[in-house]
Amino acid sequence: MKKLVGKVTTEERDVILSLYERRNGLNELAKILTTDNDVMYEKIVKDLGETSKKFQDWWSSMSSKYEWESIKNGNWEINFDTCEIYLNS
Amino acid sequence: MEKIANIPHGWQEGTSKDITFIVTKDCQLACKYCYLVGKNTREKMSFETAKVAIDYILDQEKDPLFNQESVIWEFIGGEPFLEIDLIDKICDYIKLEMYSRNHHWFNSYRLSFSTNGLNYSSEKVQNFIKKNYTHLSIGITIDGTKTKHDLNRIYKTSGQGSYEDVIKSIPLWLQQFPEAGTKVTISSSDIPYIKESVLHLFDLGIHHISINCVFENVWKQNDDVVFEKQLIDLADAIIDKGYYEYTTCSFFNETIGKPLDCVANNENWCGAGKMLAIDANGYFYPCTRFAQYSLRNKKAWILGNVHDGIDRNKLRPFLTLDRCTQSSQECINCEVASGCAWCQGENYDAAKTHTIFERSISICKMHKAQVRANNYYWNKLFHKLETKYSKHEQI
Amino acid sequence: MLQYLVILLDDTSVAYCHTDNPIVEERIMPLSTLRKAIFWGMCENLMIHFVYPNYSLPKEYQDVIDTVDNVKIGKDIEVYNEIPKKINSSSIVLRLSINEFISSIAELEVVLQQAKRINICYTDIEHFDDNRIDDYSKALSSLNNIIIRLYEQNIQPQINILSDRIIHNEKMHNCDAGISNVTVAPNGKFYLCPSFYYDEIMHIDNELNYQNPSFDRSVGSLESGLDMPNRHLLMLNSAPLCRECDAYHCNRCIWLNQKLTLDCNTPGHQQCVLSHIERNASRDLVTKLKSLGYNIDCCIDDLPYLDPFEQFIKF
Repeated sequence: MKKLVGKVTTEERDVILSLYERRNGLNELAKILTTDNDVMYEKIVKDLGETSKKFQDWWSSMSSKYEWESIKNGNWEINFDTCEIYLNS
Repeated sequence: MEKIANIPHGWQEGTSKDITFIVTKDCQLACKYCYLVGKNTREKMSFETAKVAIDYILDQEKDPLFNQESVIWEFIGGEPFLEIDLIDKICDYIKLEMYSRNHHWFNSYRLSFSTNGLNYSSEKVQNFIKKNYTHLSIGITIDGTKTKHDLNRIYKTSGQGSYEDVIKSIPLWLQQFPEAGTKVTISSSDIPYIKESVLHLFDLGIHHISINCVFENVWKQNDDVVFEKQLIDLADAIIDKGYYEYTTCSFFNETIGKPLDCVANNENWCGAGKMLAIDANGYFYPCTRFAQYSLRNKKAWILGNVHDGIDRNKLRPFLTLDRCTQSSQECINCEVASGCAWCQGENYDAAKTHTIFERSISICKMHKAQVRANNYYWNKLFHKLETKYSKHEQI
Repeated sequence: MLQYLVILLDDTSVAYCHTDNPIVEERIMPLSTLRKAIFWGMCENLMIHFVYPNYSLPKEYQDVIDTVDNVKIGKDIEVYNEIPKKINSSSIVLRLSINEFISSIAELEVVLQQAKRINICYTDIEHFDDNRIDDYSKALSSLNNIIIRLYEQNIQPQINILSDRIIHNEKMHNCDAGISNVTVAPNGKFYLCPSFYYDEIMHIDNELNYQNPSFDRSVGSLESGLDMPNRHLLMLNSAPLCRECDAYHCNRCIWLNQKLTLDCNTPGHQQCVLSHIERNASRDLVTKLKSLGYNIDCCIDDLPYLDPFEQFIKF
């Protein structure tokens, strides 16, 4: 089930879109790193941690700002084209 | 109100830089309508050339030519997946370099492919897809029914049609990229198969079809009449069977067929010059259509090379070009001008002089036929929807 | 509309514009061709400009030439490839490299005192580097000071790159090859300008058909008439960069455009920058002359760029 529960501004959307893209980029970059490249590996792991935290912070801050409906074991998702927020249950 | 599916817009349309690697000029097929007149097995890009090109491009991050928000790294051929090992290596290098340099494109990039689909299911291509899945855009070209597809898309060596081999990969492709669309090309000989082909593609599960008539001067007398009839029949089928709710075909677009103003609507049609293509020799082009293997008559329009960079003077005509300056008075005054496309490379190749400012009008009659069918489509569709809903309201 | 016809009397006729004449072997225009060219020009109501070689023409040529009103380039209008100490005519063409110009301002004062008009023509525009912008601006500023001194001595010299904007500053004044003028070569064929003829003789590919290369640059002949495909593309209105530009006195050389940008109606960066430096220097000259009380009806605005392309590109 998917229910429309809110909408963010395009500026807010751009922030989460950029974090989403970065997280995907880091995950796919991690796949090509060889064990001999320790420094780069450490850098990416640290970056992934930071990016994921910013990602979660965005959802926390937006959900408090807009007071989106929530349910136990549900999760929100964003449509990047329309900026709409959906609740998945 | 019942929904009408929208033609999907391209990823980051208008805010991305399109960089195309011509990794090979070879292809398993020899499609009869292919504009690549100089395909060959010799010119394959080396990793070293690609690497120098990437370094040059990423070095220009602050340059207005390269500071767009996003980037699409595109790989074409020939058939790009013939060089999957090279592509894999290039993509790894791109990702690593964007990240190491903290380049803003690391947060907004795509890897894009136009393929004939023959190698799509191979282990190497599938491994590549798994590795880069969230950044991929892959289009497989399938022209429609077996009859239409095999009319043009034939093997280089045997001359046999390629439909049976391409179709094998379509389910896997759609499973991996459910929203993927295909690009269909129409030349004179396959006009009679348009309707059945588009419907066939919809039934295969390909919901978005970008379709266009070739820009070259190949059209025969009455082609426009047969073309219009095909599109009207297609319009009937799409509307009567309800395909419009979840499919799109670019022949039908509400914005097509209106007059255009030389001030408000003076944009060039395509992005030649805003994009950048690189070939195996390390030459830069305004788009692939300006590389020698795409040109019948004119010399390649080379902007520079990976070692010396871009000669910006050679980009100036592209970046100052507008619709009206390159159009004849007939085109400027045309009452159904919107949606009438052109290919800058074909304009250049067909021009009487060495210029990109002479617009080829080979598709004029075909465009006008399309406009009539398009008008019919929307009139019929809106009438159907209005009738349906006014009945609902009365009940 | 065509207004004048340039007739190259010999393959070695003097170069009077941007391009050097690379042809060393003399080949005079046959007398019959010369007669046909003059006749064609008269029928088209064109002023005829004869371009002379560096040797004396046979008397019968002179007799034919003088059957029509004309301008003699290389004779009435002298062409110099370096700054002369003394000149014989009141109007001269001075063909210089930009470096030569920058380093020879003082010598120019002597020439300016003798000539009513100097047309300076740079032979190396395509090599102009942005690092030289300041040097060129300063050189023009020095030349402005010389012009002002001469004004104060009641001499009002004309020098194309600076003073033409004082006289006409309301619309473009370009070379207009193919539009206001066309050239006939000794072979009896038409060319947009002599530079295109030189390219043909020097076997430079016209790039129109890579499979069957051709050197032909002609746009018709005296036998078959003018044939200029896409002539409208030579016009100002077909040049998006130039039609909005107010540098006005710019060569807008279509031969150089083709060479630099591959399209005849688009100027290269170097051409635009040079013209705008000259535009700015003309503006300074106007301001100074006005402040000295000269009644000059000319207004040149301040611009934030030297190359209008910078304002033009949108992504």
